[in-house]
Amino acid sequence: MINYIPILNILILILFSFIIIIVKNNKKVKFISLASNIFVFFLSIILARKVLTQNIITLSLGDPNNLLGIEFLISKPEAVIGLIFTFVMVMILWYSNFYLEKEVSENRISFFYLLINILLASLLGVIYTNDLFNSYVFIEISTLSACGIIILKDKKENIKATIKYLIMSTIGSGLVLMAIAYIYSITGHLNISNIHEIIITNYQFHRNAVLIILGLFTVGLGIKSAVFPLHSWLPDAHSSAPTPASAVLSALVIKVYVFMLIKILFRMFSYEIVNSFIIMDIILLLGSMGMIFGSIMAIMQKELKRMVAYSSVAQMGYIVFGIGLGTISGTAIAIYHIIGHAVTKSSLFLISGLLIDKTGSKKIEDLKGIGKEMPFTLGLFTLGAFSMVGIPILPGFISKWYLSLTCIEVGRVPLILIILASSLLNVLYYFPIVINGYFGNDNLEGKIYKAKKIPFINLLPIILLVISMVVIGGMSYNLIGLFNI
Amino acid sequence: MNFEIFLPVIVPIVMGLVVGIVKPSYENRNKVVIITTILNFFLVLYVVFFKDNSFYHMVKINEFLDLYLHPDSIGKIFAVLVSSLWILTTFYSIDYMGKSKNLNKFFMFFLITEGVTLGIAFSGNLITLYLFYELLTLSTFPLVIEKGSAKALNAGKKYLIYSFFGATMVLFGIILLYSQTQNLSFVPGGVVGSLVFGNKNLYLMVYILLFLGFGVKAALVPFHSWLPSAMVAPTPVSALLHAVAVVKSGIFALGRMTYYVLGWRVIEFTEGNKYTLILVLLTILMGSFLAIHQENLKRRLAYSTISQLGYIMLALVIFENSSYIGGMLHMLFHATVKITLFFCVGAIMHYEKKTELHEIAGIGKKMPKTMISFSVASICLIGIPPTNGFVSKWFLAIGGLDQGNYLIPIILLLSAFFTAAYLIPIISTAFFKGDPSKKIEISEPNNFMLIPIMILAAINLILGIFPNAIINTIQIAAKKLF
Repeated sequence: MINYIPILNILILILFSFIIIIVKNNKKVKFISLASNIFVFFLSIILARKVLTQNIITLSLGDPNNLLGIEFLISKPEAVIGLIFTFVMVMILWYSNFYLEKEVSENRISFFYLLINILLASLLGVIYTNDLFNSYVFIEISTLSACGIIILKDKKENIKATIKYLIMSTIGSGLVLMAIAYIYSITGHLNISNIHEIIITNYQFHRNAVLIILGLFTVGLGIKSAVFPLHSWLPDAHSSAPTPASAVLSALVIKVYVFMLIKILFRMFSYEIVNSFIIMDIILLLGSMGMIFGSIMAIMQKELKRMVAYSSVAQMGYIVFGIGLGTISGTAIAIYHIIGHAVTKSSLFLISGLLIDKTGSKKIEDLKGIGKEMPFTLGLFTLGAFSMVGIPILPGFISKWYLSLTCIEVGRVPLILIILASSLLNVLYYFPIVINGYFGNDNLEGKIYKAKKIPFINLLPIILLVISMVVIGGMSYNLIGLFNI
Repeated sequence: MNFEIFLPVIVPIVMGLVVGIVKPSYENRNKVVIITTILNFFLVLYVVFFKDNSFYHMVKINEFLDLYLHPDSIGKIFAVLVSSLWILTTFYSIDYMGKSKNLNKFFMFFLITEGVTLGIAFSGNLITLYLFYELLTLSTFPLVIEKGSAKALNAGKKYLIYSFFGATMVLFGIILLYSQTQNLSFVPGGVVGSLVFGNKNLYLMVYILLFLGFGVKAALVPFHSWLPSAMVAPTPVSALLHAVAVVKSGIFALGRMTYYVLGWRVIEFTEGNKYTLILVLLTILMGSFLAIHQENLKRRLAYSTISQLGYIMLALVIFENSSYIGGMLHMLFHATVKITLFFCVGAIMHYEKKTELHEIAGIGKKMPKTMISFSVASICLIGIPPTNGFVSKWFLAIGGLDQGNYLIPIILLLSAFFTAAYLIPIISTAFFKGDPSKKIEISEPNNFMLIPIMILAAINLILGIFPNAIINTIQIAAKKLF
């Protein structure tokens, strides 16, 4: 029975999304959506427990050697990512249950929950799947539903951002589809494990084709996961979307594609194959550029959510950088950063939403003195910022530490400078918010202590996310040990 | 379980958070802060006398993420220094800060900083030290910008950027080191040992990175400019930053790095100390030079600190038994002397609203006890025998001579001359300038302020005449190193 959990997760979410369409009452919609997500979260716990003892679960629907056979493969990284993602999603839904009305009109609320359920189903599909065609289908579903939750707000900027996102990510999907077609024409398979067996013996005969395939996958999935020069859609989309949607997009959606890239590079091909092409150096370069330029652009932003969105570009840089090192440990840290950043960035976005809602302004300028009015909320933001800056034990520090060690391992010591420079740049955009929030006479003048306090129950999802962030930091060593692809 | 070791670190932090969250009234808060600092002093004493060679693991997840405390003799000396000076500063600041608003926030971070500084003193490995080192930056930052003016915020930002820049260099060094040794614990003589052979350049790089990185907090030239800017802080904070908390933590971390992680033999092999010696000598001379030109009293003392820190750092680049003893002595003596000087200047600022040198003419007649304490401390800092400054400088000079380096005693003498040149004018202006015929009434500071100042002046004198107990303790520590 446990072996069927992957497909159950996906089916439950989609099934409940159909129920949501029928239900008219917004309160019931919220309840149904949250309940289905919590249920999926518990199933993911069971799945993760099973995988941690048993290593790998494969679930084949139809003959995997057949072209149309669908296969799910859940090893430890998939199980943990699935678990963390469902957890984050439950927290975001909890938050949006009391928040969403502030940004989205009454009659569209049920759409949000409908789309969120489909989105999470497709994200889990991409994470679990072991064949290319299946993953392509899920990628398309996730793109469309992601567009849906951006456009919910119905403002001019949202429509613009969505069209931008739609066009760019369609190009990305097109490239991925092309790559899948190429790989099928070489190997005659769509199942990742089958392709691996064939390609590992005869890639020498198709070097140019393999290079093109690698390039297509990297660029195609790179656009969708906002890898540095292909990121231009992200700040618009993530800053204009309703806050819970921004959190979902930044914390979960973009990570899934980069995880797919990891599976393709290292599971479908192999370390040996990809390291023999120039592609890894290019990925490393893109990662480094993302870390630096993402941060620099974040410093220049005037709006809070845009700043946090650009910070995501920088953080994707870390993940891509880890992949680009082309070693097992580099990939493990990339995966660790996926989950570490998922909890950190989701909490930062959710807090930003509260701050913006209470002050009534998107501008960073207007957040001065907010620490006096909302001391606890800004305190949580500060903890998230500490992780980004790299205070020991928090996940941000762990990622930087192990990435640096891996740089030394592969003999590329100067790259550490990029990691450290990027963490210094993080200080420059996160700390001014905290400092101007808590300190300074000019900033605090006329502010009333706890004037804009938020009920504890509404803060609870964020608190849980922050706690899980600390736990993920504390358990880093064990977690990284699990993530070998 | 050696939970007692953790108490001096966690008690002030918890009490600080209590003060910050509960927001007690003026009287209650003062009681809480005074009781906490005094209690903590006894907790530290308990650790010093009853906890030999014991460990407390705060967080142990694996070999790398193993945060533990392990007080050794040098750490204990530093801890006693911190916790005793903290009590005096508490009394002083209660009077100095008055009843201005936001004081709960001030005393919250004041207490947290004490806990964090003691954490640095007791850290058992480099990664724990690094954690507390970062926390120290974060917890002292609100103290520096206490005034909340735009100028204070700018100075605070400068402090923050310098500190994080330094910490980043430290992190780079730690990563490189860890990749080689897989061990960052503090062992007398270092953990590197023979690994250095064949990897000379890498270890040279590690040494330079760590030295410059920790040097930022120790106000090493060219990373010193945050320190005069941070003078915008209230005087008790400046006094603490200078005497114990920040700059001494930088020095302490440098000492740990030099003698307990890398090991001086390794550094000597890489010849890294030749480069750092130049920076240290520059720090001594430049600090004294710049101090002479400062009209503002606090800035004058700030530059003096830079120069005096150079003396202490001499002990970290000249690997001789006697210079090590001299450096450690000077670390203690400079702490007590400099905090006295700052307290006196702060008293003048607070009661007379005078901050510049030319304004204080004749103030010695108005505040004789304060200014006499100031003079005592000045004489100690200049190093006229038999004061404590003389003792420490003597050992430093001997250490230099042991290495056959005649430049060092000469620079020490030169700098002592400069020290006199920037401190004597303050004393002479205070006592001998001004209109002698004018009748001046004596008005000393409040006892909360005056008594700490006089206690400190007495401590300075006593330490100068009877330094042997401390010298013996340091000698025991030094024996393990050389």
